[in-house]
Amino acid sequence: MSTFGGLNAAYSGLVAARAGLDVVGQNIHNVNTEGYTRQRVTTSSTNAAARAGLVAWGATPGAGVSVDGVSRLGSATLDAKVRATAATAGYTAVRATALGSIENSLKEPGVNGLSHQLQEFWAAWGELSNGTNAAAAAGVLLGEAGQLTAQISSGYRAVTAEWTAVRSSADALVTEVNGAAAQVAELNGLIRQTLASGGSANEAIDKRDALTATIAAITGASVRPQANGTVDVLIAGNTLVSGTDVQTLTVTGPTALASGNGPVQIEWAHHPGTPVAVDGGELAGALSLLGSADAGGALAEAADSYNEFAAHLADSVNSIHLGGVTSTGKPGGKFFDYTVGNAAATLSVTPKSATEIAAGAAGAGAANGANADKIAQLGAGRAVDGAGKPVDSPNALWSAFVTGLGVATAIELGQASSANLSASAAVTLQLSNSSVDIDEENVNLLTFQHAYQGAARVMTAVDEMLDTLINRTGLVGR
Amino acid sequence: MIPRVTSQTQMRSAQANLQASAQRLAQLQEQSSSLKTISRASDDPARAGNALAVRAEQRATAQYTRNADNGNGWLTTLDTALGASTSILNKVRDLTVQGANAGTMSPAAREAIAVQIDGLKKDLLSQANATYLGRTVFAGNSDAGVAFTAAGIHSGGSTPGVERRVGADSTVRVDADGAGIFGSGPDSVFALLSTVSEALRTSPATVSGHLSAVDTALNRVIAASSDVGARQARIESASALLVSAKGSLEAQRVQLEDADLATVILELKLQEVAYQSALAVTARVIQPTLMDFLS
Repeated sequence: MSTFGGLNAAYSGLVAARAGLDVVGQNIHNVNTEGYTRQRVTTSSTNAAARAGLVAWGATPGAGVSVDGVSRLGSATLDAKVRATAATAGYTAVRATALGSIENSLKEPGVNGLSHQLQEFWAAWGELSNGTNAAAAAGVLLGEAGQLTAQISSGYRAVTAEWTAVRSSADALVTEVNGAAAQVAELNGLIRQTLASGGSANEAIDKRDALTATIAAITGASVRPQANGTVDVLIAGNTLVSGTDVQTLTVTGPTALASGNGPVQIEWAHHPGTPVAVDGGELAGALSLLGSADAGGALAEAADSYNEFAAHLADSVNSIHLGGVTSTGKPGGKFFDYTVGNAAATLSVTPKSATEIAAGAAGAGAANGANADKIAQLGAGRAVDGAGKPVDSPNALWSAFVTGLGVATAIELGQASSANLSASAAVTLQLSNSSVDIDEENVNLLTFQHAYQGAARVMTAVDEMLDTLINRTGLVGR
Repeated sequence: MIPRVTSQTQMRSAQANLQASAQRLAQLQEQSSSLKTISRASDDPARAGNALAVRAEQRATAQYTRNADNGNGWLTTLDTALGASTSILNKVRDLTVQGANAGTMSPAAREAIAVQIDGLKKDLLSQANATYLGRTVFAGNSDAGVAFTAAGIHSGGSTPGVERRVGADSTVRVDADGAGIFGSGPDSVFALLSTVSEALRTSPATVSGHLSAVDTALNRVIAASSDVGARQARIESASALLVSAKGSLEAQRVQLEDADLATVILELKLQEVAYQSALAVTARVIQPTLMDFLS
């Protein structure tokens, strides 16, 4: 080592300590930054100068320290786990939210539920069969029937409104994915360029990881890192992002329930007509809710249940009502009217006044209430049709729907809460690896501070040595 | 593996724990204020299904009770009318026996009896036209307004009778067959009374011949009265059953839906203590860092 080599080595120590302090500073500044991954300066000792020529120099020490780079202490495994669990959690959360909101709209069990109104309706028929004051009892019956049809159609509207809400959220999700994918592609380019020129792209990688986690939570996409520092994002095996190339997704299909324009599906913009099999994430949850009843779409099934219930209620009441006569002896008409295939929304009460209600049996006297009693028996499940066969009570159909929806919601809520737990556990694991710990950074701060002081001391020592050599040598005996 | 603990993970888990604790607290608060264990079907689908069935049965029972009350009103009206008819016919029988003593009575006295019988006939007709809430109880389902015209002709409509449903499987007939009890037209008890008063005025010797017909009419009314009594006993026992069913259904509903206040309040208190201690511990744990101790 040359005479002044020591000074240079001490300088490299100062530089390394300062770089360490800078990185610690960066960590502490970003202690609460979302998605920030802690960093460390990486250093290595500089080899001694290579020997040149034939003269033996003897053993020489190394020439100080070199700052190699700033490493990012993330874990690809933990990141992948976060993405996978986020996809499951997103899927179940969307489904649980939608089913929960349908269930809330039922307001069962309780006095605000449809079941309560149904019992009032049957009781009104029972009251009419007493016939004590036909006009008042008939008025009550028509009122209760009107209320019942209003409640059925408002329940049905709650289902269709939920469908529309989920449908528009699918649009929003796809827009979000497309935006995130474009940013990932842009960051890919930036990172590739930075790394190729030997720089540190840690912050850009943090941003890209946050974006890919968002894409995974929405679509269940997988991420494949490439050697040049870029990542490919794949949805169902097809690339959404590859290097700096990006593809866009679109949503096609009907925008309202039962408008019958084929299924709602996700397609590649460059490949229209072919559905993309999104296999996880919020988007898959939304698509599974939006499917037709045959495909297991929960909302379409709920809407069908409403229609089935409304049609059964109307048919069973009508079949008995048609067999009775009004107080003037005319045969009864339909009590309920509806459009086939859209019963819940179109259900209406036909009679407008007491004289149109067929409360009596034919030829049994004007004040007879036998037919009203027969209809009231529908509520108790004891009604029989013209051939004497028992008619299923609409009560049973409604109760089966409520219980079925309750079971489905309970299962979905359970799955959502367990998926949420594992997603949160994965995030905790990721954070416990990548987040900044203030205590640790303080210790590092001290370490680098002392390293700086040490290097400075070395420099002072070399300086004093040179001072002795230059200024004090040769003054012996003077 | 014990994961690395950083201030961020500490904060995160503290937040998650506090959130979970607060959620449980809110749930218990909702339960203690609403006193319901199931507020939506997914809380317990099987119990929710049962609750729907019990609520349906409760409403049906309330309606059966109203039907039974209405039926009881009909039968009470019938009972009163038939009791009054019995005493009227008893008086007619006494007067007929009195009038049959043709030899000892002056025409004026017979005329007085005949006038009395004519009056009783009007009384009987008004009893036979007894109404309950605007419905004539002896005319079945007819809406003619009166069961018997002034000429004693029944308006019909007693078959089938008026039925009131007092249970899912049981009905009780609450009217009485007016034509069967009082007869109709020339065969009616009203025509008989006219015949008797006519006989008193014109042919006193034939009056005693009508005595057995009066007895038959009287017996028919008495028989109908006991039949009505039997049906009233049935409807009253049905009412009693409905009252006890109402109580047991409400008990079932409470068991299915309602929360036990003592348990909920105890759990609420426990959860409050847990939440407060979690808050206190979090506040102490999160504060210090190494920076507090470095000079």
